[in-house]
Amino acid sequence: MTKAERIDRIATILILLLALAVVGLVITVLGLILIPGISHISWHFLTSSSQSFETGGGIFDQLFNSFYLVVLTLLISVPLALGAAIYLNEYAKQNWFTDSLRLAIEVLSSLPSIVIGLFGYLVFVLKWGLDFSLLAGALVLTILNLPLLTRTSETALSQVPNLQRQAGLGLGMAKWQVILKIVLPAALPGILTGAILSAGRIFGEAAALIYTAGQSTITVNYQDWNPFSPTSFLNPMRPAETLAVHIWKLNTEGLIPDASAVSSGAAAVLVLTILLFNLGARLIGHLISKRLEK
Amino acid sequence: MKNWEKYLMGPSKERTQERVGRGITGLSILMIGLLVGIILLFLVGKGSQLFLKDGVSFQEFIFKTVWAPGNEVYGAASMIITSLLVTMVAGLIALPFALAVGVAVTEILPPITKKIIQPIIELLVGIPSVVYGLIGLTVVVPIVRQLVGGTGFGIIAASVVLFLMIMPTITSMIIDAFQAVDQDQRRASAGLGATRWQTITRIVIPAAKGGILTALIFGMARAFGEALAVQMVIGNAAIMPSIQGSAATITSVLTTGMGNTILGTPANDALWSLALILLGMSLVFNLLMHFVTRKEA
Amino acid sequence: MLEVENLTITYSEHPVLKGIEMAFPDHQITALIGASGSGKSTLLRSLNRMNDGIASVDGHINFHGVDINQPNANVYRIRQAIGMVFQQPTPFPMSIYENVVYGLRLRGEKNRQLLDQRVEESLRQAALWNEVKDRLKSPAQALSGGQQQRLCIARTLATKPEIILLDEPTSALDPISTSQIEATLVDLKQNYTIIIVTHNMQQASRISDWTAYFEQGQLIEFQPTEKLFLNPKEQQTADYLSGKFG
Repeated sequence: MTKAERIDRIATILILLLALAVVGLVITVLGLILIPGISHISWHFLTSSSQSFETGGGIFDQLFNSFYLVVLTLLISVPLALGAAIYLNEYAKQNWFTDSLRLAIEVLSSLPSIVIGLFGYLVFVLKWGLDFSLLAGALVLTILNLPLLTRTSETALSQVPNLQRQAGLGLGMAKWQVILKIVLPAALPGILTGAILSAGRIFGEAAALIYTAGQSTITVNYQDWNPFSPTSFLNPMRPAETLAVHIWKLNTEGLIPDASAVSSGAAAVLVLTILLFNLGARLIGHLISKRLEK
Repeated sequence: MKNWEKYLMGPSKERTQERVGRGITGLSILMIGLLVGIILLFLVGKGSQLFLKDGVSFQEFIFKTVWAPGNEVYGAASMIITSLLVTMVAGLIALPFALAVGVAVTEILPPITKKIIQPIIELLVGIPSVVYGLIGLTVVVPIVRQLVGGTGFGIIAASVVLFLMIMPTITSMIIDAFQAVDQDQRRASAGLGATRWQTITRIVIPAAKGGILTALIFGMARAFGEALAVQMVIGNAAIMPSIQGSAATITSVLTTGMGNTILGTPANDALWSLALILLGMSLVFNLLMHFVTRKEA
Repeated sequence: MLEVENLTITYSEHPVLKGIEMAFPDHQITALIGASGSGKSTLLRSLNRMNDGIASVDGHINFHGVDINQPNANVYRIRQAIGMVFQQPTPFPMSIYENVVYGLRLRGEKNRQLLDQRVEESLRQAALWNEVKDRLKSPAQALSGGQQQRLCIARTLATKPEIILLDEPTSALDPISTSQIEATLVDLKQNYTIIIVTHNMQQASRISDWTAYFEQGQLIEFQPTEKLFLNPKEQQTADYLSGKFG
């Protein structure tokens, strides 16, 4: 065996050992958080309200708030990001104006979420008087979500073959009609996958929310479907602590005795939900592209 | 006979549709552009109050290490140093591990490993930072307490948590960078009698250098801006960092301080100045990434 | 009906067509031939303004005496009256039926009877009716390449254009599909003016009534097909046809 071959063998072994160490680390970390967490998850835990000073509280309100906030955020951010992506991919000419818009989106994507959260606190919560509310939280998460969503939508649009656009234009259709009727349906799987993945990301966001959606939850009525009624669970003007914020809050100033059990249970729910979002994104992308192939 | 002149010059539904489409999409992108402008303007405006209105000098803010808002002393140097320190340590530990996984997955192990590892990395990238903070609190802090002494809270725990948090992101980007290297180059190198390790060190890594650097900077930018995971394990004492003791980063002071100060007071303005520094640093990271990719291209 | 006057087309400062003058005969098939880069495809695409935003146009293209490049000309109506079929078949991801009525639906046509009637008429004209009449609801992308291309012709016909532009419509197809499309085009000229770009000189001689030969952005010769092929006026045309060039 030559020297080079010996080095090759030793290096390969070292690399594999190092990679194995990473795998071990990941398994340990995930195991340490998920195993006690999952054992704490029960029907009672998922469906009852949290306690302030006693053991035995659940996470129902926080879980609902997290999902509701994701829905509100997507309602605002998807149309906006899609519009921007369509403009960039279909209409924009290559000039300084387009370049500066792209730069702006990139700058936005590089801002730390705490900075965006503080901006939201200053503008939405204080200046606009929204107070700590779901709406303020949704607006902040929209800002956080826009760059990624715009980018994934633009990629999805750019993968639609140009021939399809030309065929539409050749029939004398307005470009906007070509986009709505031909390009968007073809790009749908990609757009949807991007939206679900972004949903997973905002589902776990906490730093941007502690000063916007707030760190407390009021008692709401889950039978009241009128979003304008102050105690309705749908009221977007109420403060709402999400699951991720709850975990943070429990571990910084929590007073309940079972804080660590509740927070590892909540963390397990958070991670499993995000896993579901990831799987859902894959599945939907897969299903739709399969259906379109037929 | 049709009046062609009138027909071909006349208005039609398509013209209106086109105007509507351009209008809607143009408005969306303009709103985003405007939003970014407003965010930057607000942060610069609020962040400069401390220097313009409250009479604190910029040099004092940057270089002084004493942070005592109660006594109207605003030196942010200890936080800036701590932020940079934990970010660098996290990035530098993560890099060799991420490189090793990248090399193992793309160069050594069979392709099926990548199929298994990809979704796992995706999940790890998606795990919220509070969960990493919780892991830090329940796992890392006790271990640090045993090994190093003290409370366990501090820069070591913070660095480890950030390392765990950014490693999946860096790994995933490094795998992409390795895969972008042309397969023919590997074959050509092997054809000249190079061992796999020689090919990796002489061909693959140099070719993927830009991608590796971008991955590292991207991960470090994420670490620098992370607030809650750090705030949960660093102990939150705005003093110069030490091995055993508590410390504070820019983000952790922002997290704890914003709720405890009143808008418009110097103590509050100082926090906005910290936010401005955070903003400036994320722009610097962004610029660095641009620089690296441009140099590559 | 369609005339080109002193037409010069420039791609980013680089002229690809210089001073073209020609009048396309109504209800005939005109073939545009020439080597790649001779400008024939550019000419075709500018005839219904598919080059908008890519190339700059100097001179006039008159359709029914109206210059189609005037600033306030309605590009959509122009493209509806001058339809185009592309090199690659471009069926939309929907059923055969929906593909054919696509243009009509967008123009707001809702009358079911009229749509049905137009589908049959267009598919018959494109010589596709007998092959697909029993599966109009099945996806267009399941058709063979040749059928897809005839579907695209039917889709263009359904909107009742006056002129049909075809950009190498058979270059992606097998010989049998090619001859079916050629037969279709010959049938169609009773009702439509057809302009076709082709690389295939046999195809030009088989189906066209007039042929225009282009070389390096210039129109060298424009003659009845038989005359151009058997007895070209210009030496350049003769060289190209005999394979000395291109």
